Amino acid sequence: MKSNLTGAALAVILLIVLIQAYLFETVLSAVLDGQRGQLPGALAVSALLSAVALFLAFKAPGLDRRP
Amino acid sequence: MPGWKTLFPVDLAEEGRLSRREFGRFMALVATGFSAGIGYLALRKRPLDGAPEPAAVPVEVKVCRAEELTPGNSFLFTYRNPQDRCILINTRQGWRAYRQTCTHLGCAVRWDGKGLECPCHNGYFEVERGFPIQGPPTRPLSRLAVELRADGWLWVRGDLPKPGPEAA
Repeated sequence: MKSNLTGAALAVILLIVLIQAYLFETVLSAVLDGQRGQLPGALAVSALLSAVALFLAFKAPGLDRRP
Repeated sequence: MPGWKTLFPVDLAEEGRLSRREFGRFMALVATGFSAGIGYLALRKRPLDGAPEPAAVPVEVKVCRAEELTPGNSFLFTYRNPQDRCILINTRQGWRAYRQTCTHLGCAVRWDGKGLECPCHNGYFEVERGFPIQGPPTRPLSRLAVELRADGWLWVRGDLPKPGPEAA
């Protein structure tokens, strides 16, 4: 059954995409500078944000499931 | 009804419709793609094109004798190859060494007696840590550690600074 996301969930997902884009740009420029020390931390944060986005997109209750 | 319609019951009116849930899923997958990209950078052993090769052994370069560099003056040198032009400064508080490439668009910065200025776009870096304090640059200059050895020579060492656009 299809159900629509709430506006708040969609807003959080879009915010996460923006954060991820900024994080990726920052990490890429750091790697091009030859600084790889922040890669593990950035990867952990990015994976956490992705997990939240995926949960909201695939598992969060939708608008149509209200009683 | 044609046979293919029972096999592929696609409603043309609904075909182009994108629900909020589907859009959210697509954006979540985009976010996951960024994570995958960071993971790729973390797992990749070889440096990216344009990124400096990690030094197998710590690089140390003998620059000049300490008495040659009087307080308030600077000395230009190359660090590991001719593209890595660096500047050594006697700031009265101590010696500082930076890559001479501006972090904005790669012009050569110069010592003006108080800080490091980039003549291309009026960028300005303070000398203690190489942080930008004026103009378009947002990242500090690549810094090298300076050491005065017992024989009176100044040595610099550190990670290989980033090659500038002129070296690309």
